Amino acid sequence: MAAPGPNYRSLLGTYLAPQRGRMAALTVLLGSSIILQLINPQLLRAFIDAATTAAGRASLTTLAAAFLVLAVVQQALGVAATYVSERVAGTATNALRADLMLHCLRLDPAFHKARTPGELIERIDGDVTAMANFFSQFVIQIIGSLLLLVGVLAVLWTVDARAGLAISVFTAITLAGLVRLRLLAVPYWAAARQAAADLFGFLEERLGGLVDIRANGAGGYTMRRLYANLRERLRTGRKARLIGSIAWSVPALANAVGYALAFALAALLYREGSLSLGTAFLIYYYTQLLFQPLNQISHQIDDFQKAGAGIVRVEELRAIQPTVTDGAGAALPAGALAVAFAAVTFAYSDEGDETAVIRDLDLRIAPGEIVGLLGRTGSGKTTLTRLLVRLYDPTAGCIFLAGTDLRTLHRADVRRNIGMVTQEVQLFRASVRDNLTLFDPAIGDARIWAALAELGLADWGHSLPAELDTMLAAGGGGLSAGEAQLLAFTRVFLRDPGLIILDEASSRLDPVTERLIERAVDRLLRGRTAIIIAHRLATVERADTILILDNGQVVEVGPRSALAADPCSRFAGLLRTGAAAEVLV
Amino acid sequence: MSAETGMDAKLAGNEPLPRVPTGRFLWSLVRYRPWLFWINSLSITLLFVAEMVPGFVARDFFDRLAATQGRLDLWWYSALLLMSAAGRIIFLVGCQLTNAPFMLTSAALMHKNLFARILDLPAARALSTTSGEAISRFRDDVDHVTDSMITFNDLTASTVFAVIALTVMIQINGLITLAVFLPMTLVVAVVNLASGRIEVYRKASREATAQVTGFLGEVFGAVQAVQVAGAEEGVAAHFRRLSAQRLEASVRDRVFNGILESIFWNTVQIGTGGILLVAGQAMGDGRFTVGDFALFVYYLGWITEFTALFGIVLARYKQAGVAFGRMTALLGGAPAPTLVQHGPTYLSGPVPAAGGLPARQAPPLERLTVAGLTYGYPAGARGIHDIGFTVERGTFTVITGRIGAGKTTLVQALLGLLPPAGGTIVWNGTPVADPAAFFVPPQAAFTPQVPRLFSDTLRDNLLLGLPEAALDLPAALRLAVLEGDVAAMEAGLDTRVGARGVRLSGGQIQRAAAARMFVRPADLLVFDDLSSARDVETERLLWERVFARPASTVLAVSHRRAALRRADRIIVLQNGSVAAVGRLDDLLATCAEMQYLWHGEDGSAA
Repeated sequence: MAAPGPNYRSLLGTYLAPQRGRMAALTVLLGSSIILQLINPQLLRAFIDAATTAAGRASLTTLAAAFLVLAVVQQALGVAATYVSERVAGTATNALRADLMLHCLRLDPAFHKARTPGELIERIDGDVTAMANFFSQFVIQIIGSLLLLVGVLAVLWTVDARAGLAISVFTAITLAGLVRLRLLAVPYWAAARQAAADLFGFLEERLGGLVDIRANGAGGYTMRRLYANLRERLRTGRKARLIGSIAWSVPALANAVGYALAFALAALLYREGSLSLGTAFLIYYYTQLLFQPLNQISHQIDDFQKAGAGIVRVEELRAIQPTVTDGAGAALPAGALAVAFAAVTFAYSDEGDETAVIRDLDLRIAPGEIVGLLGRTGSGKTTLTRLLVRLYDPTAGCIFLAGTDLRTLHRADVRRNIGMVTQEVQLFRASVRDNLTLFDPAIGDARIWAALAELGLADWGHSLPAELDTMLAAGGGGLSAGEAQLLAFTRVFLRDPGLIILDEASSRLDPVTERLIERAVDRLLRGRTAIIIAHRLATVERADTILILDNGQVVEVGPRSALAADPCSRFAGLLRTGAAAEVLV
Repeated sequence: MSAETGMDAKLAGNEPLPRVPTGRFLWSLVRYRPWLFWINSLSITLLFVAEMVPGFVARDFFDRLAATQGRLDLWWYSALLLMSAAGRIIFLVGCQLTNAPFMLTSAALMHKNLFARILDLPAARALSTTSGEAISRFRDDVDHVTDSMITFNDLTASTVFAVIALTVMIQINGLITLAVFLPMTLVVAVVNLASGRIEVYRKASREATAQVTGFLGEVFGAVQAVQVAGAEEGVAAHFRRLSAQRLEASVRDRVFNGILESIFWNTVQIGTGGILLVAGQAMGDGRFTVGDFALFVYYLGWITEFTALFGIVLARYKQAGVAFGRMTALLGGAPAPTLVQHGPTYLSGPVPAAGGLPARQAPPLERLTVAGLTYGYPAGARGIHDIGFTVERGTFTVITGRIGAGKTTLVQALLGLLPPAGGTIVWNGTPVADPAAFFVPPQAAFTPQVPRLFSDTLRDNLLLGLPEAALDLPAALRLAVLEGDVAAMEAGLDTRVGARGVRLSGGQIQRAAAARMFVRPADLLVFDDLSSARDVETERLLWERVFARPASTVLAVSHRRAALRRADRIIVLQNGSVAAVGRLDDLLATCAEMQYLWHGEDGSAA
């Protein structure tokens, strides 16, 4: 994993390129600051030579004043550079985070089933935040340091070629050592970050299931699991830190060698009489000045390694591709859509389960037809709807929407034209407006109110404390389950899809709320094709056609009235059971 | 989350942060594993002392350079310099050996204390924020505190350096030394003036981060809904807006810090200018040599670091206060020092042994009496008021009512998952002091309305740490009508259920939660709406098997006719109060709300 090294260049290119203007400003700021750092020691030399010779005394005050002014200007440049680099880094990492989020949102269900939201928070935010340092520090510290290094060496060459050569060789060796160490600890930091991701994934999931833990008396067990996670984090963190510290030892050694070298050079050249005391001091001072960027680089290696681990993990994430991909794209007609399944077979093979959940299924639904889908748990109802919205592709066979093979369409087009209401309505901590439009600013308030009015929910909308601006709390708190359902209907209605998939969720509603929902469903289904997964026979009443699935196959299909009238049909049998046991109500 | 429990629509971030004694908290963390902290402190101090050697070498070198015309014993200098380097490397390793252990051990202590306390709180109201935001506190605030503490050691070390350096410098030239150190008092004053702002910016920055992580958590908790709705772009756009807000906050925070740091550096530079002015005279007089100047300049760099560090540590101390405040807010009213209370974190050595079956806290249930039970949500809506009823051993009690009538609230308040505002709960004539601690197996077991499973195996999810050998897992699976599903799974009970159990269907999650309840020996079984077991056959079977269980005492929220008809006692809730209690036939004759519910259901059922 660490062999080729993290791909710094591709990430830098992608995310820094759009900020050329800021990068240019940063270059100017850094360059000026470095030039000032190189000039300042010259003032010191002039000062020493002036102070140690009687003739130069008069210029001392001027030199001291110049030193002060340069110092102030240099600091001002430094603050400006910090500002620009923070902006650059923040903008770059924000773009990276958003891209990663979008990337993850487009990945297969199998990807998400294997990862907790907490783990993804850590990978999209945690890893990238470690990289934010990389983005900002890389420019300010690493490039700035390298430039300063080159500048110092260049000045030393002009002072004395032998001094320049000796110090250059020394710097090259030290730098090579530092660079070689750069990748050493990357895999260890990756392990440490994974342990952190596991810990926070564990915590996030448990914090979401406190009722379950508590009511089952599982507090002690959950704490033991926490201890195991903490222990792993300590183990990996300690190791990464220790390996990383090797990079810290090199500068300590390099400093000692550098000083010895500077003293030797200064002594030799002074003995020859080829330089003044001030210039001898200058060699010493510039050598000392070299340590600053060298130390800086090695300090940054710590962050660099963390960022490197982050980049490895980000690249890993970016390399995961959805198995379901967009086709060439084709226009879907407006209005109700036809649906057809042709010899469709499907197994959740991504989860290592080769058992077919849908077997050689054929199915035709005419535009505007309302199909009631029945079948026991595991019969394939939900899988069928997942295939239709292309969360998965069939293992064999084809699915057609309005006569077009799903795989030739853009996924976004498919999903825009299919409205799905699942049993559990997902609400975000955002305004009612954002929850209705799912953050699509193109949908104006007028359209929202029109939709609410159409569905008979305008009164409900006006009853909210701040109407559309009402903020929903975490997990949709503040709304009843019924209200959440109504919100989901409006959400779908706003997108005006040609096909509705309704996974009935009225099981938790009281009859009064249910009637409000019935009316909204009536309006929602008008002029659209619909597939309703019904758990109660009452809902089936509105279906034109009944389709009963068992074990991934259609075992019965036909007009509802005909099936109900045929005493031998399974549907009629279900109606009888329902009437007798009353568990269907 | 149940819609009925999330009423307090307060926005996280607006809560006032508790003020905490930052110093005392930090000290408590130091004392938790003191040797790690002190070895780290000592190592870094010695490291700094070793750094002083090159300054003395430089002074000696330049003083002799002019005097000897460059004929110096260079070997002696080299040996000194290399020795100091060797010292530095040794102390550096000492630092790194203790650094991560100290930080991660302190972090573990806070993680443990926070999490243990949250587990102790009434579970349905334990978090005042989303779990994603809580994670931001577990992660960023904890890390900030531990990072700061290591910075304190850096300050200690550079203080020792500064004191030694000052002593040396004063002996060389008092006046010039004064010119260096005067600016430092200025720095301290500036930092104190600016510290209020630091706190404000840091808090804003952290909260903007919490918004970002909170939203990420929500989105990935609902990823399929986002995908199915084709809302990826919209969600990403909202994420970009939140990120942009965070960027503004963090740039303000960082640049302000940058300005402060720059001020420290400038002050010292001005001090350097001061040396130049004063030294000019002294160098002419021979009272201040080039060697002295080399030493001053060398130490000045380090003293600069000390001054800058001084400001950084002051700022970090303030920021640590903010971090402590945000963490303390998660403690749900427990005394703030709980956060840093010492206790085992089991980071090494044996972990605490898994407990056996839970011990009985009271004799088996004969009669449970609830009187005056009251709960009000902070937002003021939809609580329950003055609820009373009795449950006898072996009976089936159903709580019914419209949405928002308070059914879930009643069950959660009874079980201590919400903190009741009043009322008594009596078990066999003995009042229950702490319902949350009492209504666990073997007294009671519970299936919530929307159960959560965790990303482990199905077996781990069902057992939650109980010893399998002592339990009848197959029987629990059968009771929950899950045995067929498990048999169909390739890995059976060892199937990994995925994050929040997403690899299972909704019905399977519900029935797995029921099995999790059945596997625990319990006198009283509490169901909050089993109806999402969903399909006809399965649900009928589940009810049949539950009723066939000998001597089951069941309290269930339901509005199913089958359940209502079988009930020995129905509690009809209306607007948070008991409208009526009795058997179905009596209630249908006397209670208008029951008639409404029954016939309303009839009306919708064609």
